[in-house]
Amino acid sequence: MTRASGPAIVVDELTKVYANGGRKRTGAARPAVDGISFSVEQGKIYGLLGPNGAGKTTTIKMLSTLLLPTAGTATVLGLDVSSDHMEIRKHINLVSGGERGLYYRITGKQNLQFFSDLYMVPRRARDENVARLLERVGLSDAADKRVEDYSRGMKQRLHIARALVNDPEVLFLDEPTIGLDPEIARDLRDMIRRMADEQKTVILTTHYMKEAEELCGTIGIISKGKIVASGPPSMLKDLVRDKSIIEVEALNVDEGSIDGLRATEGVQEVVAVKNGDRSILRVQVGSGSDMIPAIVSRLGSCRIVRVSNEEPTLEDAYLSLVSRNDKH
Amino acid sequence: MINIRATSAAFKQQARHFFADPQWVIPSLVAPFTFTIVVLMLFPAVDEPVVLYAVLGGGILGMWGNTLYASGWSVSFDRMNGTLESLLITPTPMVQVVAGRAVWNTLIGLTNAAAVFVVAELAFGTELRLEDPALFFLALAATLLSLATVGLMLSAMFVMTRSSTVLMQILELPIYFISGAMIPVDHLPEAIRPFSYALAPTWGVDAMRQAAGIQGTTVMGLGTGADLLIVAAITSVYLAIALYLFRRMEARARADGSLGRW
Repeated sequence: MTRASGPAIVVDELTKVYANGGRKRTGAARPAVDGISFSVEQGKIYGLLGPNGAGKTTTIKMLSTLLLPTAGTATVLGLDVSSDHMEIRKHINLVSGGERGLYYRITGKQNLQFFSDLYMVPRRARDENVARLLERVGLSDAADKRVEDYSRGMKQRLHIARALVNDPEVLFLDEPTIGLDPEIARDLRDMIRRMADEQKTVILTTHYMKEAEELCGTIGIISKGKIVASGPPSMLKDLVRDKSIIEVEALNVDEGSIDGLRATEGVQEVVAVKNGDRSILRVQVGSGSDMIPAIVSRLGSCRIVRVSNEEPTLEDAYLSLVSRNDKH
Repeated sequence: MINIRATSAAFKQQARHFFADPQWVIPSLVAPFTFTIVVLMLFPAVDEPVVLYAVLGGGILGMWGNTLYASGWSVSFDRMNGTLESLLITPTPMVQVVAGRAVWNTLIGLTNAAAVFVVAELAFGTELRLEDPALFFLALAATLLSLATVGLMLSAMFVMTRSSTVLMQILELPIYFISGAMIPVDHLPEAIRPFSYALAPTWGVDAMRQAAGIQGTTVMGLGTGADLLIVAAITSVYLAIALYLFRRMEARARADGSLGRW
């Protein structure tokens, strides 16, 4: 039996140290997840943000019972992820980003029927449910096509449908929109929002800040296996409210200029987005517009188109928190 | 908890993959045909029991080859597709999924064994008569069941290693010989015979040969009934080993998270 009330997910000092493999062969094992704690209320979307290798996927795998924690505890719907894994599995599902994870030689419908059988969905309800899910993700017309003939977006939508065959109470979404075009990514975000409306609890990992800000009520920023900050997006942004963001649009910005900017006293972080010979630089500083002359001077060899003083975004907060943790 | 729905869904899914992926034609049809045709062409003038021995051997080869390759691939296929985690996260134990696939793989072996008989009859005019058809089919069913269990055991063993392809190559030919499929076990060196006796298919094949009326090749001189009891006993041991290996595999997967890697 699952719990009657209380948070859907409770994580307490959860730790994972891999016994072998990867970087652990080269020296003392560093925890992939290092004593993290958080909880998620039912029907809420919790975002886990962090750089590659920060421990997001390992956390999701532990919570979805695919991995055993090394230390600490976690409960999903009141059940222990280590010992009650078979019971938890009836009530959860997982979507991983990317194209793998489906049987390509059979049709989308056959994939969903197969997984429905593994969840023991009653046979009569199964076919109705599969048809409804295919319609919901916009794949009714492609139901009888082999998955190998699906586009990437269609495969990802089928992943979502597969994860809903057992009508899970808790959904783990590991970078579900990675590599998708903006339109399909938007459709997926709408689906995720609807899941929360249906009182499903969602844990989402993503690299896209706007996605996290748009969907998640609470975000945990994870770096080197530790949660370095957590709270609603607005609260995280408040953590860098005392900082200023100088945004510079310039032409012909080379790596040397960016490195020079990073080395400038008073500059805390520089994020550069290049589009052809045009670059947008977001420069995080502590002292507001006072720094503008120094920044412009550092970029002397580039043609500056625009300079503005911006409000910090979630991305700025994220970069500030992660880089602060990296320096420790 | 046993989920028959899952096992039957896995059986159906394996069938769909079989027909969708023509590469299985080679171990399932081409290889046993080739072996049988070579034997029949090499010994065109030999007497009927030997021909029947060869034809039956060809059928067994087909069933074994199919079991070995399909089982070796069973979980590796999920690893390659990235579907292993989607399977492991369901409340159905992995062994029940693989069992459904193993039964399909063995049944396909049966169809190619039947095809070998047809080729022998039609292309070579071999007269194949079964002395006790009921007992023959009972022995055949026991052999199929034992092969399915071998397949289940191999699936778990193969998934513990990334060298499943090498293992498949290594295991294929020796089993042809030591199971008595091609050569009677009492013609093998004494040191090898204990390995033959440990294989359930050795006894199943022996029971089939006796039921078909092939004289003079009985393993240890035991009768069909004893053979079938031994098949049942060894198959039970295989099943216990397979269940243990799957439990270990799943425990290891949860401990180190290595199974998703291809």
